[in-house]
Amino acid sequence: MALTITCPICGKRNGYEFKFGGEEKGPRPDEKDLTPTAWCEYVHMNKCVAGVQEEWWFHKDGCGSWFKIHRDTTTNLEMEVPKVKHPAAKIGGGKSDEQA
Amino acid sequence: MNRLNHLPTLKVDTTDKIAFIYKGKKYYGAKGDTVASALFANGVRIFGRSLKYHRPRGLYSLDGECSNTCMEVDGIPNVRCENTLLKQGMVIKEQNVKGSAENDMMGFLDKMDWAMPAGFYYNVMHKPAMIWPLAMKQIRKAAGLGKISPDYEMPGKFDEVFLNTDVCVIGGGPAGMMAALCAAEKGLRVILMESRPWLGGFFEYRSGVYKDRQTLHDRALHLANEVKAQDNIRLFTHTSAVGTYNNNLITGFQIGKKEDVFDERYIEIRANSVVVAAGCIERPLIFDNNERPGVMQIGCALRMAKTYGQLPGKRCVFSIGHDLGLEAAIELHDLGLSIACIADIREDGQDTVLLKKIADKKIPLLKGWVATKAHGRKIVKKVSISSIDGQISKTFSCDLIVASAGMTPVTGHITVALGTLKYDNHTGFFLPDQMPEKMYAAGRIFGLNDPISIEASGMLAGLKAAHDCERGSTGSLGEIREAEKVMTGLPGPVRGTKLVTAPVKGRKSFICFDEDATIKNIKQAIEKGFDVPELIKRFTATGLGPGQGGIPGHNLPLYVARYQGLPDVSIRPTNVRPPLVPTLISTYAGVNHKMFKTTPMDEMQKKDGGVFRNIGVWQRARYFSDDFSCKKEIENVRNNVGMLDGSTLGKFRLHGPDAVKALERVFVSDMSKLKQGRIKYSAMCNDDGCVIDDGVVVKQGENDYYFTTSTGRAGQTVEWIRYHTRYDGWNFAMVNLTDSLGVINLSGPNARKVLEKIVDIDLSNEAFGFSEYKEFMIADTIPIRAMRLGFVGELSYELHVPASFMKSVWIMLKEAGKEFKIQNFGVEAQNVLRMEKCHIILGQESEQRTNLLDVGLGFLWDRNKAEAKTVGSVALRQAEGDKTRFKLVGFKTENNSRAPRDGALIVDDKVRGYVCTARDSFSLNEAVGMALVEAELSQIGTRLEIYEDECGDDRIYGKVVAMPFYDPEGKRMKM
Amino acid sequence: MFLKNKPMWGKKTKLKSSYDVVIIGGGLHSLATAYYLAKEHGVTDIAIIEKNYIGFGGAGRNTAIVRANQRTQHNVPLYKEALDLWPVLTKELDYNLMFNNCGNLNLMHSEAAMKAARMTIATAQFHGVESHLIDAKEAKELVPALNISEDITFPIHGAMFHPPGGVVRHDAVVWGLAKGAAKKGVEIHQQTEALDIGTKNGRISSVTTSRGVINTNQVLISAGGYSAALIYDMMGIKLPISVLTIQAMVTQPLKPVLDHVVSSGAYHCYANQTLKGEIATGAHMDPWPNYTTLNTAHYIKHQAEALSEFLPCLRGVRFMRIWGGLADMTPDMAPIMDGNEQIEGFFMDCGWGYFGFKSCSAVGKYMAQFMATDQCPDMLKPFALKRYEEHKLMGETAALVNYSPDN
Repeated sequence: MALTITCPICGKRNGYEFKFGGEEKGPRPDEKDLTPTAWCEYVHMNKCVAGVQEEWWFHKDGCGSWFKIHRDTTTNLEMEVPKVKHPAAKIGGGKSDEQA
Repeated sequence: MNRLNHLPTLKVDTTDKIAFIYKGKKYYGAKGDTVASALFANGVRIFGRSLKYHRPRGLYSLDGECSNTCMEVDGIPNVRCENTLLKQGMVIKEQNVKGSAENDMMGFLDKMDWAMPAGFYYNVMHKPAMIWPLAMKQIRKAAGLGKISPDYEMPGKFDEVFLNTDVCVIGGGPAGMMAALCAAEKGLRVILMESRPWLGGFFEYRSGVYKDRQTLHDRALHLANEVKAQDNIRLFTHTSAVGTYNNNLITGFQIGKKEDVFDERYIEIRANSVVVAAGCIERPLIFDNNERPGVMQIGCALRMAKTYGQLPGKRCVFSIGHDLGLEAAIELHDLGLSIACIADIREDGQDTVLLKKIADKKIPLLKGWVATKAHGRKIVKKVSISSIDGQISKTFSCDLIVASAGMTPVTGHITVALGTLKYDNHTGFFLPDQMPEKMYAAGRIFGLNDPISIEASGMLAGLKAAHDCERGSTGSLGEIREAEKVMTGLPGPVRGTKLVTAPVKGRKSFICFDEDATIKNIKQAIEKGFDVPELIKRFTATGLGPGQGGIPGHNLPLYVARYQGLPDVSIRPTNVRPPLVPTLISTYAGVNHKMFKTTPMDEMQKKDGGVFRNIGVWQRARYFSDDFSCKKEIENVRNNVGMLDGSTLGKFRLHGPDAVKALERVFVSDMSKLKQGRIKYSAMCNDDGCVIDDGVVVKQGENDYYFTTSTGRAGQTVEWIRYHTRYDGWNFAMVNLTDSLGVINLSGPNARKVLEKIVDIDLSNEAFGFSEYKEFMIADTIPIRAMRLGFVGELSYELHVPASFMKSVWIMLKEAGKEFKIQNFGVEAQNVLRMEKCHIILGQESEQRTNLLDVGLGFLWDRNKAEAKTVGSVALRQAEGDKTRFKLVGFKTENNSRAPRDGALIVDDKVRGYVCTARDSFSLNEAVGMALVEAELSQIGTRLEIYEDECGDDRIYGKVVAMPFYDPEGKRMKM
Repeated sequence: MFLKNKPMWGKKTKLKSSYDVVIIGGGLHSLATAYYLAKEHGVTDIAIIEKNYIGFGGAGRNTAIVRANQRTQHNVPLYKEALDLWPVLTKELDYNLMFNNCGNLNLMHSEAAMKAARMTIATAQFHGVESHLIDAKEAKELVPALNISEDITFPIHGAMFHPPGGVVRHDAVVWGLAKGAAKKGVEIHQQTEALDIGTKNGRISSVTTSRGVINTNQVLISAGGYSAALIYDMMGIKLPISVLTIQAMVTQPLKPVLDHVVSSGAYHCYANQTLKGEIATGAHMDPWPNYTTLNTAHYIKHQAEALSEFLPCLRGVRFMRIWGGLADMTPDMAPIMDGNEQIEGFFMDCGWGYFGFKSCSAVGKYMAQFMATDQCPDMLKPFALKRYEEHKLMGETAALVNYSPDN
């Protein structure tokens, strides 16, 4: 696997120049009346999508910007536009596992 | 041995002799020999013994696809002798033998196979339990092939190179060369990798006709010359591609030539597109004793003669299933090999020209026949062949059996990059199905055999790969269509043989040589419920040996499918994994950089006797003497003055209209109240409220702040602040000044006196008080940012100095401080000094689960700024009332007992906390420390039972006391 | 030894329309839970649903290291019991799990690391688990191949030596447990995919599979790295998990040269010699979530650089094979075991990261107890999902887990 990431400023670069920043979850919620469950949902909980997900990246060894991309977590390939929003899990026996 | 000296294909120079040592005796090979060909020339037929049964093994494929000819060379185990060029003075030894390969005392194991069915070790040696440890010792001794000494020092030079290219071609045979030439002619940068030391591949060693009167060998030379003449083809011969990755990253390693500066070199290539033209290996034919020395594949026998000038035997029987076998028989016959018989698995479909030649030369040919058993205890003496239905059989005496079921495409480069394969009934191949993006296959991988077809397919792949590059005139789709049309007019893939096994029971028919796995073992595994090849592989270890699955790779799934009567569509190849060729760890390591950051004071502190340690990404002076208790350093700070290099501290400027908002988001304190020229100590939390960083913030001007972070966090600070403000669109900028500014911490009662000597501003307590910030110049030249802080609990100036002036200021302070007994102090002394003051160090007095309140820093938190959405504030609010959390406490030991070691536990019948830092304090003359304990135990006066590692029944007792221990009123740092 | 070859985990059977318990995932935790449900609680009407074949995931991809020197008192007893169970299981299952209790040597490269090791060692000793801090010279005596010179990136200060740890043949555990469970009546359905979970009146009612619907009142999802995605897809429950590919590799087989498991946090590397003689080594996780199980060029090189330094004789040895598996990491590096909480009859056992192998035997035992009695055993209580919203992370890792800025 050889991940590449396209930085909006620097272009397509080796994935190891970047740092992963989590699934896209929207802006920080208002603190007022935020229940522990809702707080935990925002801070810790993930969907762990096996497929295309929207996610944050930081260009650590580059321009230092945070940006979002779509990436297929089953192939580690960047996607221009998500084709399906949340496809059914196609894991554990997909193409990658049989051939890898 | 007399070599065939006048062949145009020869790669050895027999006039240039190379001496080597084999089993302690001196032998000679020729220049150009591999270790294997040199040994063979000296009469060696048995190269080693097999893993499990200690069966004799010899030359088989000449490409290192099995462990048969793995030997110890110059102390390196498992060297593939078939691929390793002979060098002057090499010391060569046999592996896995007791006695010698010729007479191995463990050879009796071959008769014990009945006791070792597939997976037998899972069912034996555990009853009674006590025998297992003994058995295990024996297993370990018996297992493994080569030996490496624990103090072995690998000689040689290793290099690495990281390249970028438009097109990378794997395989320097006719198809690969055509692809490379094609792409190069478009003006693209091309890299061509070939695993043998020379170009030419499948054409190189053959004397058949290419076209008109040109031989295949001549054609190979011609193409090679064209490739070498192209400036934009970078050629790597003797270079194996060992890894391919999606997104077209290719890795490989190159064996250095005599004139190279390296012995082996790691190569990593980022390519735009890739052509895989790795050709074929031969498909092993499975019959009884199919790996006895004297059984060889076609290419092995032919190349031994044509490349190395050695006839592989005297009298030979061929059992083949491919035209290359007929061609080799003719060539070897003409070179003087006596051929008793050719058994061709195929009933029909042979090349008519070859058939006619064989008839002309009166070589007996049996169609629809196959070898069933090689005879001879150690090396081949006889062979039995039979019709494929097993009805009729014959026996010939011979010393060579050339055996090969056909061809197997080398598809590893495609599948490890996530391409898929599909079984094809016509060729008997797993053919490329879905190729990885921008990767194209070419040549024999498709089952092509006709030379013109092979080249045309290379050209087509080259055009496609070029078209993927958005550079120069990279060709049109029309051109590609044209090339496709040409292909359809040429001979297509040839029919392959389906049969891989002779009609035998298979007790001694080996499907995997490395692991001594037989056909019988495979059947046993299937009967036990291991019904998919991937599971059989695990159960029998088939394909998991040093040959990287070269021998059983495609045979295993084909055999399993046939045995289970499965339809073709369900046949899947087993997984291939990188490295595709076994690769030395030293080669992968390459140059092996050591990377640490050093401060501007590195050299000077070393001169002063600093004992350095790696601390995060930095190297820092931890001690300044052999006394790791740092008594002198500590006392000098308390009594006189010391200086510490704090350059590793994170230093940042944050400015812009929204600077305060950004600071408020990440720091727990209210930054809007900070006045210009003042310092605020504060902390950052993560969303769990756990402290991740602390430091001071200085307001330098309107919307302009300077702040420090801990050494460990400096690398992530910009990322952290930007992350937590990423939705807000705030206008602020950050500059990381960590490396451009050095820090000197000048601490001790004499600190003011020292500093006064080199600066001309008023340093009195009234003019520059505790917790204040000043900017001034030293000698009108050096700009200084100075802070009055008290981390170590004494009068103390933290001087932030441009890195380039650090040395000067350091020297000035040292000079000025002489009369006040200035001394260096290191990180450990600081650690003790600050502990006596109960100033925490994150990671030492905190861990992942301790929040701001737990460590007693709650006073920093301004809870009335909800709109700032400060990171961690929600969690702090929710956890505030929780009585079950850990609390940081100070303690003293009872009865003058020594300080417990850091990391000791606080216990009763359970673990209730642990000691963070504790020392026998020179300043206080008692043992003090800080511990994280359950809140219940945090009341002043609580007795703590301390459990140290190796303490047995002994305990140290402590008592919770008020913090800090040293100078509780803080008079000394404020003086 | 000379038994007739018969299928070890039963003939392929039809999927029934109902089972008392359905377990999704055919890995070690599932097999162990099924085995103990059948053996200790008489629950035998169990279907294990596996999409590929048993041991396809982490069970067949880990490097088989076992140990009980975890950091906190919640974890140590669990792993200790797991460690004690290997010889017991070998006997019970009549299948040689090839437990090689050669001991683990965890290298320390700084004073700070030595301090961290002391706490772990004290915790182990306090719980009756053998573990000692040794200096560099003693480490070298145990592992003569170690480079204890100052001239490496991370000089070796000492090591945490944990004699009862070692290596177990991971495939054997899969097959042995499958054999043991099948013998007691558990049905193992390979090549069967779980597609959905049905509920009725706040209780689990069914599991839909690629081979039909099963009615059941109890479901356990313990599908290793795939658990989090399955639980979200089928139950809509999000978990504090990041799924990463973790890699391992082996060298060519050698005669005995490394008698203990050696690991180093600073070098991100562990190494041990298998009974076959290969040096098995690994530890790297991709720093971004993915399900690829693909190896990387970056990592095999890193591993070579690391081994070159602290086990320099291996420079003369060749890598033979590298592979990847999944690690489902939680923010506190401790697993999530829960049941009857989100919905009656629903159990989960996931978030094991790269600790799933070491723990499987004991976890199977306690999860079985949990499911059979509907009472969470004390041993498992600290691992409930609720701890994350209660701000009570487990402390299994001292340092902050560094794969997402959230932590």
